[in-house]
Amino acid sequence: MNKSIAVIRLTGELEIGRKDEIAAALVVAGSESGILLDFSDVNYADSTSLAELLRFRDEAAKQNVPVAIVIGSKQFARLIQYAGLSHAFRIFDNRAEALMDLSQAGTE
Amino acid sequence: MPGPRESRPFVGSEPRRALILAAIYALLVIVLLIGGGLYVRTLIAQSFRIAADLGATRALVYSSLKYMLDEETGVRGYAATQDPLFLEPYHDALQPFATTVQQLKMSLTEFDAPAAAAAAADIVAVNAEYVRTVATPLLSDRGNNTNAIERKGKVLVDRFRADVTTIDGVLTQREAGVDTQVRASIDRIGLLTGGAVTIVLLISLLYAVQQAALAVRIERERALAADNRREADVLRAAYTTEKRIADTLQEAFVQRPLPTHPTFRFSATYVPASEEAKVGGDWYDALELPGNRVLFAIGDVTGHGIAAAVTMNRVRQALISSALLDPMPAALLQRVGKELYADKAPLVTAVAGFADANTYEFFYATAGHPPPLLLEPGRPPRMLECGSLPLGAMADNDFQTFRIQSVPGAMLVLYTDGAIEHSRDVIEGEAILLAAAAEVARLVPPDPATFIHNAVFDGREIGDDVAILTIGFAADPAIGVRISADRAQAAFTGRLAGTPAAPHPSAEQPMQAWWGHRVGKKAA
Repeated sequence: MNKSIAVIRLTGELEIGRKDEIAAALVVAGSESGILLDFSDVNYADSTSLAELLRFRDEAAKQNVPVAIVIGSKQFARLIQYAGLSHAFRIFDNRAEALMDLSQAGTE
Repeated sequence: MPGPRESRPFVGSEPRRALILAAIYALLVIVLLIGGGLYVRTLIAQSFRIAADLGATRALVYSSLKYMLDEETGVRGYAATQDPLFLEPYHDALQPFATTVQQLKMSLTEFDAPAAAAAAADIVAVNAEYVRTVATPLLSDRGNNTNAIERKGKVLVDRFRADVTTIDGVLTQREAGVDTQVRASIDRIGLLTGGAVTIVLLISLLYAVQQAALAVRIERERALAADNRREADVLRAAYTTEKRIADTLQEAFVQRPLPTHPTFRFSATYVPASEEAKVGGDWYDALELPGNRVLFAIGDVTGHGIAAAVTMNRVRQALISSALLDPMPAALLQRVGKELYADKAPLVTAVAGFADANTYEFFYATAGHPPPLLLEPGRPPRMLECGSLPLGAMADNDFQTFRIQSVPGAMLVLYTDGAIEHSRDVIEGEAILLAAAAEVARLVPPDPATFIHNAVFDGREIGDDVAILTIGFAADPAIGVRISADRAQAAFTGRLAGTPAAPHPSAEQPMQAWWGHRVGKKAA
């Protein structure tokens, strides 16, 4: 299998005003061996954005695509915790580890 | 809400600029016409002056011809009849002839016509010669070879006629020239007038076309503005209706009175977003349950408006009715979440649980909601554990029930995200909320929820709905009912209502034994 890891990067504050942009970005193509959500520069997400993230999680789970998130800010990490998403994703604080994790997951 | 689209002013700078341009064009045309007219008029006047001069000159030519003929007729008549009467015209003509020819010469010199001037000079010479060789001999020397003299006279007269013809030819030529010039000038006037009229017509046409285009545009914009206004009216009406319904729904629940209970202390506040009244789906509930317990719940429906308000009320009813069957929080949220998921309702974040006045325990579970805050006498306030997905996110969610063994005087603070996300920095938001809670411990205000809200939003704009609910155990267990005797005894020792620094009844116990730990993690 010649699959690759897709990287989706979002930055700043994820809020309802960017709903379309976020929804368009969070898409599972189905051909990836894993998806890396690079949120290292995200410091806030409102409930609408977190709901999008949940939808994305379900979509990825249905297609058996592992998803790893890189989280850079304490604030965003706390919001992820509130939302109960801490166990829904593989969470990392740097991209290298996340990529390594995903590539291993892809070979399983 | 979207307002009517901004429309441009109907009469802008474009038509004004066109008007100014048109005025400038008109002015140019007028100046051109006047200037051209004056120029042509000068040309014509000049031509007329030349024509007049030519006419005068021609008159001189005819006069000189007349005088010459008078002289000749007189001389010939006298030669034939010897009647001195015939000499009268001759003598009369001599002087004016000389004068006339002199004037003729001058005129022709002015006209810069060398051929004619030479002819004029020749006329003078011819006349002189005539007087000398014809008139004088004939008048003085009678019968002296008259025929020869007369032949000579005829030659001279012919020469004179030739000179006159030459001059006449030149004058005719000049007159023709003046005619041509006048005609050209008249043509120029016609051309100028025609051109001016054409330009004016063109400008008028352009202006008319522009005005017509402008009128069309104004009409279109007016129609567009009317459309926008209508659309905005419809939107506003829809919005007003929706807001009124949502307000009604929201009020219906917010105004629910909090239970009064000898052991429990409740306070609550709900403040909608300050700017546009986005009626959100924030709610709280506190309800007395059998067995000296109270159900508490707080939550937030994602989104705003009627859908959020309806979902909020459904969740609230479901939580209450379900809690009456079994108040264990994880199972409670599980049941409600399942129902929401099946109905594809908006996501709901919530904290639900109950407090037990018999044991001073709090049981709670969270669903995508910020953690409860616990305030206990003699301890700094702290955030409790949290973390499960929101209600409606999954069919079968994995909620956890947290149990907190607490003490008399303890207070649980529940809130919606607006209370900590006002600065977008939840870490800072939590710190501010904890500081406000610490102030509650210090000052013991009668309405802790309102006190906390005011402390948090002191001078801050309220960008989102904020709901706060506090559930406390009375600090003085003497006024509590049906609490176990030993606990009452322990709690009663040296404690008065609102005295925060009293010794903790369970202070001797290991920390983990009495503060929150998970119980009965629900199997997925």
